[in-house]
Amino acid sequence: MSIGASNPEYVNARVRARRAALFADEDYRKLIRMGPSGIARFMEETEYEREINALGARFSGVDLIEYALNRNLAKHFHDLLDWSEGRLYDLIARYLRKFDVWNVKTIIRGIYTETSSDEVQNDLIRAGEIDDSTIDRLLEVDTIEDAIETLNATMFYEPLLEAFDTYEQTGALVPLENALDRAFYENLLADLGRPQEGPEALYVEFLEAEIDFRNARNALRLARTGADLDPAAYYIDGGVLFTESELSRLVTDYDELVSHIADSRRYGDTLSSALTQLREAESLIQFEHALEAALLEYADTLSSSYPVSVSAVLSYILAKEREVENIRAIARGREVGLSESEIEDELVIL
Amino acid sequence: MFEITPEIAMAVLQGATLENFTDSGAAAIAVGLAALATGYAQRGIGSAAVGAMAEDDSTFGKGLILTVIPETLVILALVVVFLV
Repeated sequence: MSIGASNPEYVNARVRARRAALFADEDYRKLIRMGPSGIARFMEETEYEREINALGARFSGVDLIEYALNRNLAKHFHDLLDWSEGRLYDLIARYLRKFDVWNVKTIIRGIYTETSSDEVQNDLIRAGEIDDSTIDRLLEVDTIEDAIETLNATMFYEPLLEAFDTYEQTGALVPLENALDRAFYENLLADLGRPQEGPEALYVEFLEAEIDFRNARNALRLARTGADLDPAAYYIDGGVLFTESELSRLVTDYDELVSHIADSRRYGDTLSSALTQLREAESLIQFEHALEAALLEYADTLSSSYPVSVSAVLSYILAKEREVENIRAIARGREVGLSESEIEDELVIL
Repeated sequence: MFEITPEIAMAVLQGATLENFTDSGAAAIAVGLAALATGYAQRGIGSAAVGAMAEDDSTFGKGLILTVIPETLVILALVVVFLV
């Protein structure tokens, strides 16, 4: 499917319609005041009707909301891959493979902890590129070795195979999970080059931002906790914010790390308010939310500068992910009895 | 079909001298190019319209109207035929 003409017009029209159907800020304000069953009932009257009805008999409360959200997300993102053709498919699939990574990780963890495949299945988000039949086969295998063998047609096969030796020696899942993440991020920018203008240049810029923010997040966490881990092992290549040596140096000095981000030409302005907060505040959560909001806003700007391109799809994907995460945060927050203002702090609202 | 292609090419090459190139021939080319342009414009609008319709039935009317707007290109080009 990756050769031939692409059809951005068609995909754009559909995506924009769905974008418009997402929850508005007022809806969140309403949801914050509801309990889990209220939220489920509210969702039943919207977009999520089919999922809530399908799962309503088996689950209840927050679990019902969570699984319905996952399933709905998977449905919409799967549609995106279904509609798009050619170049557009390639660009969308690059980003959506992150759900493949999530699914494979979940399945491997399930095998490792000997969880029944039914339970694992509930936690999958079938939005990636790996098709359903492969995932079903993955759910049936009993050993990690067989699972890797099942993936032999995908881009994760080689890296997993390499990491498998280390796994056998240490018995820890970390090398396998790192291999998956690495394969995903390396593929994200592979053979896209550095286009200078047009929507694709902005798409590359966005993917770079994704990598930069991931690096920044990891570095901040390491600097914050002072954990004795090798930062180079978690460094992801391809971003513009850090080089590997810079990152290793900065991790030891928290203030300098924040200044480094603030000084960067590309992100300094957009994130300035978030960075001031970060200097003073105690928690990273606020900063991470600011990062996400900045990405979201950026993607929105892109989709109006280049109406018929991959940008609109990208902005929809981000907005949808945000919606799912917000609803989940509200439901979980209500469940553990957080106050309304505390939950509001957890939400990413533009 | 393919066997006669060289002969057709030869005929075209011999026939298409400037003396034989009449006004109506030029008009035909003009209309043809305009029709191609219309088709190209409608390709994008049409697929967007179908996409919008798939999400929401009520956009059928608007989609139809927007799709036929580039039709004006070829209609206006048709005027050329009556001018020559």
